[in-house]
Amino acid sequence: MYLKMFVISGSALILWLTPLTALDKRISWHKAIQGLSLISGIACAVSAGNIARKLAGENEIEEIKTRAITADVVDEIATSAYVSQSQRQQEAEAILNPVEQLERALALPCGDDDEWEPVTQNQLAERSENERAERALQLKAKGYGKAKIILELWGVSKGGSEKYKAAEAEYRRLVGE
Amino acid sequence: MRAMYLTNYFIAGCIASSLLGWIASLHPMSMRAIAFLATATFILWGLCWLLDFSVSSLLKISVQNLQALLVAGLAVSIIGVGVFLCT
Repeated sequence: MYLKMFVISGSALILWLTPLTALDKRISWHKAIQGLSLISGIACAVSAGNIARKLAGENEIEEIKTRAITADVVDEIATSAYVSQSQRQQEAEAILNPVEQLERALALPCGDDDEWEPVTQNQLAERSENERAERALQLKAKGYGKAKIILELWGVSKGGSEKYKAAEAEYRRLVGE
Repeated sequence: MRAMYLTNYFIAGCIASSLLGWIASLHPMSMRAIAFLATATFILWGLCWLLDFSVSSLLKISVQNLQALLVAGLAVSIIGVGVFLCT
């Protein structure tokens, strides 16, 4: 394709210049030959230009492909580097973890565990009681009845059971009835 | 390769202007016709320089490209006619 283009391009130049410079003007048909060679020179130059244009387009596509492949490779390398780094980090953490755990265990306050636990449980119970009271007041404000609120919050249906009586007493205490 | 195709089109333009010169040399009437064509083209060329922004937006190309085209057109006609007259 390149050779064809160069040959056509060269012949266009030859067809343009040779009849104008080398042809003897005394020959009767020199004008006709000049005209013909100029027309064929134009045709050659235009076809060579079209071929070159096509090749330029193909080259551009190849360049885009190369750029895309390079970008893919760079991306792949970056991803693999990131993955290997995170793996190394995990391994390092796995190695350091027992030591860290030991350090954490040593850093815990040395108190009586029995004292610690009830305090936490009391706090949790208090928090849930507050939440329940808040929820009960919200439902009451919405217009819910006592039995429905007890069913919603304590999961006990109305009746003479002990559970219901306990829930009712707690409801009254929370709502302040 | 881009330069190659631009060069080829440039050569085609040069040969075309030589061909116009050749047509002008055939007969006095064709000489007049070509002279009229050349004058009209030259006036258009000057107008394109004066109204370059409007023409570039009309042709949807940048002003630099239009100016390059105008300069290339002038060079093409000078080279083509020059080659024809000198030989």
